[in-house]
Amino acid sequence: MTTASGSSSLHTVDTDSVVTLNDVKVHYPVKEGALQRVTGHVKAVDGVDLSIARGKTLGLVGESGCGKTTLGRVISGLVAPTGGDIWMDLSAQQQLDVNRLRGVNEGEMTAQDRRIWKDLTLNSRLGSMSGEKQRQYRRNCQVVFQDAFSSLNPRQLVRDIVGRPLRVHEQTSGAELDKKVIELLERVGLGAEHLLRFPHQFSGGQRQRISIARALALNPEFVILDEPTSALDVSVQAQILNLLVELQAEMGLTYLFITHDLGVVQHMADHIAVMYLGQIVEYGPTDQVFDNPLHPYSRVLRDSNPSLEGDRNRDWELSGTVPNPIEPPHGCRLHPRCPVAAAGCGWSVSDVMNTTEENSPVIFETIKTVDRSDDYNAQINFENEGDAQGFLSQLNGSVINEAMHRPPEVRGASVRVSFNEVSDASLEQIQDGRLSSCIRTQERGTLPDLNKSQQDNGKEGQ
Amino acid sequence: MSQDWLLKVENLSVRFQSRGGDAHAVEGVSFEIQRGETLALVGETGCGKSVTARSILRLVPEPPGKYVAGSIKLNVEGKGVVDILSASTKEVMAIRGERISMIFQDPGKALNPSLTVGSQLAEVFGQHRGEMILESAGIDPSKASRAEKRVAKQRASFVQLRFFHLTRRSKAAALQKSIDDAVARSLADTGIPNPRKIMKSYPHELSGGMKQRVMIAQALACDPDLLIADEPTTALDVTIQARILELIQDMQKRRGMAVLYITHDLSIVREFADRIAVMYAGHIVETGPAQEVLANPQHPYTTGLLGAIPHRRTPRGQLAAIPGSVPHLIDPPDQCHFASRCQWAAEACRGHVPQLHTIQPNRKVACFRFGESESPSVAKADMPIPAEISGEARR
Repeated sequence: MTTASGSSSLHTVDTDSVVTLNDVKVHYPVKEGALQRVTGHVKAVDGVDLSIARGKTLGLVGESGCGKTTLGRVISGLVAPTGGDIWMDLSAQQQLDVNRLRGVNEGEMTAQDRRIWKDLTLNSRLGSMSGEKQRQYRRNCQVVFQDAFSSLNPRQLVRDIVGRPLRVHEQTSGAELDKKVIELLERVGLGAEHLLRFPHQFSGGQRQRISIARALALNPEFVILDEPTSALDVSVQAQILNLLVELQAEMGLTYLFITHDLGVVQHMADHIAVMYLGQIVEYGPTDQVFDNPLHPYSRVLRDSNPSLEGDRNRDWELSGTVPNPIEPPHGCRLHPRCPVAAAGCGWSVSDVMNTTEENSPVIFETIKTVDRSDDYNAQINFENEGDAQGFLSQLNGSVINEAMHRPPEVRGASVRVSFNEVSDASLEQIQDGRLSSCIRTQERGTLPDLNKSQQDNGKEGQ
Repeated sequence: MSQDWLLKVENLSVRFQSRGGDAHAVEGVSFEIQRGETLALVGETGCGKSVTARSILRLVPEPPGKYVAGSIKLNVEGKGVVDILSASTKEVMAIRGERISMIFQDPGKALNPSLTVGSQLAEVFGQHRGEMILESAGIDPSKASRAEKRVAKQRASFVQLRFFHLTRRSKAAALQKSIDDAVARSLADTGIPNPRKIMKSYPHELSGGMKQRVMIAQALACDPDLLIADEPTTALDVTIQARILELIQDMQKRRGMAVLYITHDLSIVREFADRIAVMYAGHIVETGPAQEVLANPQHPYTTGLLGAIPHRRTPRGQLAAIPGSVPHLIDPPDQCHFASRCQWAAEACRGHVPQLHTIQPNRKVACFRFGESESPSVAKADMPIPAEISGEARR
């Protein structure tokens, strides 16, 4: 399954895909000052490759702020990506073609390739395909939102809410519309008596059923479920999950199930993609990912989820907090918090600053200025040589020290640090159908063991 | 005889007046919390668990709320028993924060956005520990002037504070240092790195986990006997949730306080609670040791809740969902409130409200499947089928 280009094979599945993403990016500009100058970009989604197989459920898990909702919105066409391509309805062969031709300049293609590429972009790529196709995609891809309280118009009747897509896309009206809406309501476990009610007259579970009915109105193939049950109680959640499974079997739906609840995703998804800070860090069949995670982040997620049976293993923990998505860490994005981070994981000057600030605030206070020549080289200035020595001894023995290009040296009241440059981590296939972006796992083929000293190191950062 | 319980809630009923009638939010709830133990009050939205917790601090607004019946007794060491519901406002104020404190679900909403974290914490110390602040600033509390007391208790107005700082510079500095030290110590206790810096920041500058730690520091500032944690981790991510729960457990062990968890998440109960009380529609339906109740639930509602939790081993689409939804609490009929959703419901369930019945020394269940002796007016034939044989017989 690995492609000729050697890049990740996540965007090829051996069956038809409903949606294929290639290096999709969503960067929001950060504006500052009176002139609203753009000073940086929040990288909400930063280079995601993903393929969703027809008739299956893909679970997208991650913590709040990792970009999973934004990714869902990009796929549904509610947010325009700032980079990358989104392809619709590709066959297995077409996916391979896309992969092969994507990086190639159009001038260098053979005549046949050029024809294939033109055909693909005109028929399947969101943005360049015809208006008619675009409309068709919108009908085919529906969303159920997290909060059924704010996603239903409080001033409309259920008939208008559920009937709206039918009015817009199929010009249905009158008695025929009522009949179709009742059919839809019955399909999701409501009835004709609910037709002329307002959303506030329903409980949370019933509202979510109305949302689902609206999403199914146009007989879509693909439904994006953005945390559909997180606002519901367990007993109602179970009803909704059962309903979703039933509908999938009946109508042959494809689901993208976005959630932070690992129990739910384990129950519902065939494959899962774990997201961290705008990137997918692990992808694979659900059971395998849970039994044998191949990325430290998935492992931590799994272990910190309290379960009703068995004791949690509390050894794997993340230190610190989620880094700023405007300047995500180099290399592997998890490394400043990772319990198994090693020298090659992408340490840079910002990491030294952040760990010093968190672990030894007193030393951090003594830093006067930092002259950065780039992200990997800098000169840190102190008031006097003693402080500089203190700073060095604090780094001694830590992974950061190992990651440096040459040992840090004290020159007067300043310290020079220079790190090895590390390229950004990318998803690579580790076992059949399983991908991970952990640099150490890629080298070893399995998740690295928790090293005692590193574990202590991680604990300090809390 | 010494009493070993810390808090005893007896037959508590809280109602809310509304246009449609009285909503019976909590009906005849009784439970006890021992010193140092962890009790989890579990239930779904609207079952009355938060109202129960708030009643303990008498935080339910009156009106529309109304304490119809019952008592909440707190056993204060060395002072005897106080009934929180009938005590004066002054007495209740002395209990809040000092003896019983609470952490709320959403730390983002519970902290004041216009004050720094440090000044919010200083308020707690000023309110309850004014003398300690004075003492550690080198001022004898019995001889302190009114101005000094005012500053120590954080009650000085801006002008008074400026004036104090200008006229009594050394004392002002000592007092400020003493307050800052107390605040920093309490923050450091909850594992916040660099507390001096955090003190100066506003709540919006902190992450959710950090805010919850600040809340915990605030709640534990006065070494309370009981900590009420109302869904402390619902707004947090899993990785942070685990750490906050471990922090609460750790603080509990160190200080020997009791914890009352209010939660809807059964999986955290198993790990962090000693005892569990399951609530449904304003009633406690089952209590017992957490591990036992979760391993072998007796009330049909508890069984249903556990079955509804998605699990990888349950075949997809076959979660044991509880049919129907929670009944309305406005003037409810005199019957088992779970009867409409219960697969074992029988004649008896629709005529009476079942009382908690002891089935094992430390386990109680409110269900007619147990306790024939309890409702003599119910004919044996009308009783629902007992738990053991029911499963197969019905299907």
